[in-house]
Amino acid sequence: MTFLETTLFVIAIYIVLVLVRVILGPTIWDRLLGLNAISAKIIMSIIILSLITGQSYLLDVALVYALLGFISTVLIARFIEKKGDIS
Amino acid sequence: MIDFLAYLLIVIALIFMSLGVIGLFRFKDFYSRILISSKIETVGFLTIMIGFIILSGLSYAAMKILLITILVMITNPLSTHAIARSAFLSGYTINQETRL
Repeated sequence: MTFLETTLFVIAIYIVLVLVRVILGPTIWDRLLGLNAISAKIIMSIIILSLITGQSYLLDVALVYALLGFISTVLIARFIEKKGDIS
Repeated sequence: MIDFLAYLLIVIALIFMSLGVIGLFRFKDFYSRILISSKIETVGFLTIMIGFIILSGLSYAAMKILLITILVMITNPLSTHAIARSAFLSGYTINQETRL
């Protein structure tokens, strides 16, 4: 097991622990915070995977994932803030 | 030697992220949790990405990782702010009986 594979394994453990917080969280904002944290950790995982396999196109996937995670978090936060009134 | 520096930065970033995950379970209040999570996530992300840039050398991939780093440095505090603003404007208040 090389160093980068060990790093990937540790980040996977962190994702599972944050997922426990998402399932267990009392309010909906805790779950949204967990979504944000998991999104950042998945970006790191994709970049580590790109460094292990040496394929450079996976970085584009990470870039798109960063943009989609940001847009989804802001959209759900505004949706809850206006109590479901889209207008 | 330069690889050792990158490995050291990645290990420091993993320690930062573990502190953030512990803080998500340690604190009993939502505002404390969002404070510790946003700070520690941003610092951990910056440190681990500097480690990856050093590890991949001066190449095309390093510039792309730098672009992702700058993007996440801008968007991560904005999304955390949107969550906290949503909780505050929806009327979420701190329960006074919860202890840290």
